Amino acid sequence: MTFEKIINLSLIYATLRSATPIIYASLCAAITQQADILNIGTEGIMLTGAFTAVTVSYLTGSWLLAVIVAMLAGLVMASVIAVGHLKYGAEITAIGIGINMFALAFTKYMLNSLLGKTGSFTDPKIIGIPKVHLAFLDNSPALNELFNNWAVTEWFAFILVGILTFVLFKTVWGLRLRAVGKFPMAAQTAGINVTAMRYQALAISGLVGGLAGAHLSLGYSKMFTENMTNGRGFMGVAAMFFGGAHPVLTAIGCLVFGFADSIGARLQAYGVPSQFVLLMPYVVTVAVLAISMATKQSREARKKSALITTAPSTLTEKRG
Amino acid sequence: MSSFVVEMKGINKNFGEVCAVKNGHIQVEKGEIHALIGENGAGKSTMMKLLYGLFPHDAGDIWVSEKQIKNMTPKRAIDLGIGMVHQEFMLVNELTVLENILLGFEPKKGLTVDFATGRAQVQQFIDQYGLDIQMDKRIHQISVGEAQRVEIIKILSRGAEIIILDEPTAVLTPQEADGLFEILKKLKADGKSVIFISHKLDEVMKISDRISVMRQGAYIGTVQKTETNPAQLAQMMIGREVFLNIKKSEVNSGAKVLDVQDLWTSGEKEISKIRGISFEVHEGEILGIAGIDGNGQSELIEAITGLRKVEKGKVILAGEAITNLSVSNIRAKGMTHIPEDRNKRGLNRALTIWENIIATHIGDQAFSKNKVLSLQHSIDYANELAEQFDIRPRDVTMPTQSLSGGNAQKVVVAREVAMNGKLLVASQPTRGVDIGAIESIRSILEKVKEQGTGVLLVSADLEEILSLSDRIIVMFEGKISGTLTASEATDTKLGYLMMGGKTEEAAHA
Amino acid sequence: MRDFGKSLIRFALIIALSLVIGAIFIMIIGENPISAYAALVKGAFVGKLNLGKTLANFTPLMLTALAFAVGAKGGAFNVGVEGEVFLGGIAAAYIGIHWGFLPMPIHLLACFLGAMIVAAMWAFIPGALKAYYGVNEVCSTILLNYVAFYITSYLVSGPMSAGVANAQSDPVADQVKLYQFMKPSSANVGMFIAIIVGIIAIWILNKTTFGYKIRTVGLNASHAEYVGINPKHTFVKTMIFSGVLGGIAGCIEILGVHGYFLNNFAANIGFNGMLAALVVKNNLILTPFMAFFLGALKSGALGLQQATSVPKSIVDTITAVFIIIATMDLLFQFKKKKQIQQSDEPLKPEASQEKEA
Repeated sequence: MTFEKIINLSLIYATLRSATPIIYASLCAAITQQADILNIGTEGIMLTGAFTAVTVSYLTGSWLLAVIVAMLAGLVMASVIAVGHLKYGAEITAIGIGINMFALAFTKYMLNSLLGKTGSFTDPKIIGIPKVHLAFLDNSPALNELFNNWAVTEWFAFILVGILTFVLFKTVWGLRLRAVGKFPMAAQTAGINVTAMRYQALAISGLVGGLAGAHLSLGYSKMFTENMTNGRGFMGVAAMFFGGAHPVLTAIGCLVFGFADSIGARLQAYGVPSQFVLLMPYVVTVAVLAISMATKQSREARKKSALITTAPSTLTEKRG
Repeated sequence: MSSFVVEMKGINKNFGEVCAVKNGHIQVEKGEIHALIGENGAGKSTMMKLLYGLFPHDAGDIWVSEKQIKNMTPKRAIDLGIGMVHQEFMLVNELTVLENILLGFEPKKGLTVDFATGRAQVQQFIDQYGLDIQMDKRIHQISVGEAQRVEIIKILSRGAEIIILDEPTAVLTPQEADGLFEILKKLKADGKSVIFISHKLDEVMKISDRISVMRQGAYIGTVQKTETNPAQLAQMMIGREVFLNIKKSEVNSGAKVLDVQDLWTSGEKEISKIRGISFEVHEGEILGIAGIDGNGQSELIEAITGLRKVEKGKVILAGEAITNLSVSNIRAKGMTHIPEDRNKRGLNRALTIWENIIATHIGDQAFSKNKVLSLQHSIDYANELAEQFDIRPRDVTMPTQSLSGGNAQKVVVAREVAMNGKLLVASQPTRGVDIGAIESIRSILEKVKEQGTGVLLVSADLEEILSLSDRIIVMFEGKISGTLTASEATDTKLGYLMMGGKTEEAAHA
Repeated sequence: MRDFGKSLIRFALIIALSLVIGAIFIMIIGENPISAYAALVKGAFVGKLNLGKTLANFTPLMLTALAFAVGAKGGAFNVGVEGEVFLGGIAAAYIGIHWGFLPMPIHLLACFLGAMIVAAMWAFIPGALKAYYGVNEVCSTILLNYVAFYITSYLVSGPMSAGVANAQSDPVADQVKLYQFMKPSSANVGMFIAIIVGIIAIWILNKTTFGYKIRTVGLNASHAEYVGINPKHTFVKTMIFSGVLGGIAGCIEILGVHGYFLNNFAANIGFNGMLAALVVKNNLILTPFMAFFLGALKSGALGLQQATSVPKSIVDTITAVFIIIATMDLLFQFKKKKQIQQSDEPLKPEASQEKEA
């Protein structure tokens, strides 16, 4: 059956793999979104990270050092956004796009002047992120195909989703961050330094974005290409919208986007235009946004209506 | 040396050039419920925000628990055991009740919030004061009354001994308000001190031990509840002032120009929802609507002028139903409107005087031939109005944001009055303008009336209502609490009705 | 006028700062910054090809910048200009290819009208979603850009494909191709169309009742509502207006530059236009000049790369630095900064309300 030819293990494998760089990018966007900052600069942060990782790996031969320096490079980019936006009043979308432009041009320039290459850079001296071989999976062909020989950072993408969920919803910092994003004044009257929280959110976003890039250039591949993020940062932002900035839902969004990506290519062979599959997640996201906003609107209208006498919750009587 | 838990002496606070509090004064004893009353803008909230350290005071001393405190900040205030429930709740809608209570003062277990400990702490307060809340609901799922209880627990859990409530009953239904009073009594029994801001006399009489009155930023006096009565309080709040001199012209009222029948409309707060209001305005008459801000006047006016959806009932302008028509349609039928907030609605501050003047004319042939604005005609017209209404400076290409309050308001008045409508709705027409402009705007309203236009005047300023209106209705909590003719109205009577008194009682006030 | 002078001084400072940063980059690779900058200017303006390239870059940028600025005047942050360019382009291509039976002027007009209508319909979607449901237009337009890209990508690799290696459509009829007057550059008469369209757009915004409504809603929607201008309708119309301009940009690119629809031809045209507008705070008069400036930098960078060993990416880096600095409103405006910080204090507005009461 053709259905089985389309949906099979290698499709799922391809989906998971192609989703991981986007998961990092979407988490980069989700952290700042929790503080009510739309991080359009995700793409640029990620690209900077990708370039830095390849360069450091090539020069030092250490993938771990490469990842760390890439994260720091992401931090630097995010700091520019943070200072520009929070201190100097830059429009967040504008400075984000400016950062993307800068990253694109600057990595090209550095590729040229530092590594002496144009277009792309690959070299046997680049040490990639090691792959994890799980010997016990060798016996099960299906699990072996699906889960074996993943790069460390591929696993870590999913772990990071868990970590961030934990941080946002269980820790003191996360609670405060969410309060800052939703109602800064309430946070302020609770003695929380709102601006400091926003700086911190952007800083962590920069670290994650740098990691996203390092994963792309050293884990997902083992090279650097001009503009190698190729819209993945934006796709991460879209997935973040899809998941309402909740790490788990956002990651699911990435898988949906990744799934559309992989299945689109296959359906092409059966005469279904891949673009239709590819555009579906975006359409769905817009629809989800519209429905949730419409529901919110009607809920608020009902609260204000004079025709409804009791407040929405009458449950208050139950306990006392 | 002070034996009070809170003592504020000689407090002054200016915002820019405007004086919000001058020589403010309050002394709160431990374990009492102290009401702080006064009209809108009397400086009550400002006094309490100064006590809470939301902004610094210009002069005066603040003593808390017999210690003089300089440089108060919210953090400091919290440490000193002061808690404040703001008029607008400081609660994050998307977070749960428990998360909101713990925010900023989380019990910690390593880096994480120790929700179990927090929950137990909150449960203690719930049990102790009978504060009924559901900890796992999100704020947007609970009622306003419950949200207020959440606010109270929040400040209690931060160790508050001195609790400030800024007009807490404004957002509540009467039943919820009774529930709140029970809680306040328990707090008092527990030795906490409560400062209760209000302008409703019945509740002040019901719950407080002592009452301090403020008027126009100044301290008027403090009385024991047992030694006063609502009429005396109303008089202290309203005061007696010299009226600006306006000769009231003969009432020459003609046909019905506005007929509001059983109007229902939504409200921002529970008490500002309009539930069944009916009244009429006649040609050549000024009908004044008195009331303390936030009792539904804004919503009523918006519903009449097409800015808010009418949920039930009818609005009829000169015989034509205008219920839920578009604003431009309603205006075309002869409605003109000076809105309560000139900066938000009345003016487009970034645009010039002439652009603001023609805002309601852009559909007219004279101002726009084939949808192209006729610049010369517009400027000529604006110049004409500037001359007629004495708008200064006399340069109509100036942006309105550079005008003084009085001249900015004159731009709005000029635009609306020059429309020569059948009805002029004037909402707080002299709010925040200088004395000269007040007089000229009031005399313009008189003239409009003499020309036979019906005028619906909304004002929180009793003096304005009394000096201009031919008939007066008083609004309280979204309903009409009384209707008076000009001859029988006095400031005390009105003040009494505005604060929820009954008409029969008002007669004796 | 004083503000105008101030913003010019501010720009001069920002450009100077960017040039200094750029000079450091250039010196790092061992070149002389002065001669590099001279080559940059030469590459942008000297010679038919160079000047032609600048003009060709300028044309779509000016339209997309105005499209964004027009939206901003009406209170819309329209990131979706790019999608409008794509869809306008595909509509123009379709009509250009298939409606050759029409006589020339009508055929050309049909291409433009088709592009305008399709792009307008596209812009209507986020406009209506914002006006009636409150969906943030930044989110929806970012997402819809992808949808627009995939739709056109499908069309030129499927039904409208020319069947060559690249995803592209058949060429449009010769009669609707816009004359390229500075060959071998792709500068074409579309530039004059764009300039006329730009002037009309600015005129509409400043002189007509429609423009008055847009500006009123953009500055103060509740005031607009009160004087009888429906803010929701006007917002949707503003988005449509913005879409029309984006559509025209797409049409000119297809008929004037490429002659067929090339997949992903508009990459970054929308974004760069948006930046041009943002940098000048959506000032309609300055927007075209900023578009020209960015267009000149782009072609100058190429000239620089050819004349010296300085790579084009340095100029792109400097441009990005310039834009990043220019977005920071409070930089070089020390006096204003203080005011804004004060008004940022969230608890103050309440107090100022009370003082008026």
